[in-house]
Amino acid sequence: MRLSLSTLISHGRMARRMGLGPKSRIDMLRNILTGLVRHERIETTRGKADEVRFYAEKLIDYAKKGDTDEKAMKMACFWLTEKDLVPKLFRVLAPRFENQQAGYTRMARIPNRENLDRAPMAVLEYKGNPYPPLFTPKRDNELTLLNQLLKGYREEREQQAAAKAE
Amino acid sequence: MACHSACRVFYRRLVSSAAEAKMPPSELRRLRSAVFSREQARQRALITRTEKIEVTMEGPGLQGTLLVMNKGVSTPYSCARHLTEWHVNSSALALVDGELWPLHHPLTHSCSLSLLTFKESDPTQVNKAFWRSCAALLGQVLENAFKEEFTIELLRSPELPVISGAFCCDLVLDPKLDDWTPSEETLRSLTRDAQQLIHQNLPWEPLEVSPTVALEAFAHSRCKQEEVEERAAESPNGTVTLYRCGDHILLSGGPLVARTGLCSQYEVTAVHNLDKGEMGLHRRAQGLSLPLQLQAHHTIWRRLRKRAERLVEVSPPPAPEAAPPSPVAETPAQTPSSAPQQ
Repeated sequence: MRLSLSTLISHGRMARRMGLGPKSRIDMLRNILTGLVRHERIETTRGKADEVRFYAEKLIDYAKKGDTDEKAMKMACFWLTEKDLVPKLFRVLAPRFENQQAGYTRMARIPNRENLDRAPMAVLEYKGNPYPPLFTPKRDNELTLLNQLLKGYREEREQQAAAKAE
Repeated sequence: MACHSACRVFYRRLVSSAAEAKMPPSELRRLRSAVFSREQARQRALITRTEKIEVTMEGPGLQGTLLVMNKGVSTPYSCARHLTEWHVNSSALALVDGELWPLHHPLTHSCSLSLLTFKESDPTQVNKAFWRSCAALLGQVLENAFKEEFTIELLRSPELPVISGAFCCDLVLDPKLDDWTPSEETLRSLTRDAQQLIHQNLPWEPLEVSPTVALEAFAHSRCKQEEVEERAAESPNGTVTLYRCGDHILLSGGPLVARTGLCSQYEVTAVHNLDKGEMGLHRRAQGLSLPLQLQAHHTIWRRLRKRAERLVEVSPPPAPEAAPPSPVAETPAQTPSSAPQQ
């Protein structure tokens, strides 16, 4: 799942323990995953987001098998507690990630909750959603003074290399 | 042979004229500065009544900002001071109704104003102005660097595009110094002088004057007078723009940036000998500088510096920047530097 110290020395533990037990954990993750499929971008605590991420990716993998596949339909019915989302999964999300093999989700850390518990929070989203981007792309202008100097330097290097090759 | 003897005659005449108009450089600086101050005071006295103009600011986060300023007194710099400290510190040049405007030049009419920084979406004009200003600073450093007994003439230096890797300043030194070659320590001390000027954070004050005033200011330098006449003939309304930085007066073909403090990394990289002109041996000082907002890592800086040490070539027509005509390694004799560009 995740390469970290806790999984490296896992002692048989495969996942975080959350909720009131294994069943409660799965139920909680199901609810969060349903929310994720409905809204395509959600905000939860960091641990939960990290746990759900694995199941969210796996669900897309199943959905890509198509809605005629028995196993895929079973998985969709189990993980989506609100059944009106099943068509969305097969008709919208699966075609969106057709050309992609993995990495359907994106997680971003956000500041701790302003609550009493100050829990570390995160944003989890499916890629290709219609919302504004989480990370603004860094702009690097080709025309700035430093970049122009570097461009001149590169051109000169290329010329010298070409002259040497001749 | 005839050419050679003609050169000798020229040379002798030059020496004799220089001997009779011999004046220590400090005295010369003081004189020019006095002429500048007088003209500036005269132009300011012409404005007797304060009239108000409306300046509409443009730029990110400034839409709809309207400043009421004084006509002929307020500059884009004073507009920036009404905004934030960031605007004051980072703006290098102003754009008044789509026209480039030095930051310390008074506004003359109601206009829309935008302040340009080095990180604009298209900073080509600002880069040009920065390069020009760095060359001007280099000229100032060189003029102050030598002892009183040596004369130094700054020639009209060609404007290089930024992509050529260095800015340059052409000069003619005293004939006594013809076999002098600057060592590494000399360049370092020149760099230190420049750094001191940068640390003083002096403004480049522009002043538009008629050619007669400019000729008076440069009365002791023949090549400067020629330059004044050329520039006056080029400009549409027959005036020339003088700039003052500290007590150094210079002529400029275009707007300079606001202050010397905008350069942060600055280095004088080389002084090359060019061919012999009628004034004497032409030399070309080169340097490299980067503004405060765009600093380079020292590994990058070292590479750029190494490139700036080589003699930069001046392409004869005002060529497009993207097409360097030939490799830079060449003999100095090929460079048509004595012919003024543009």
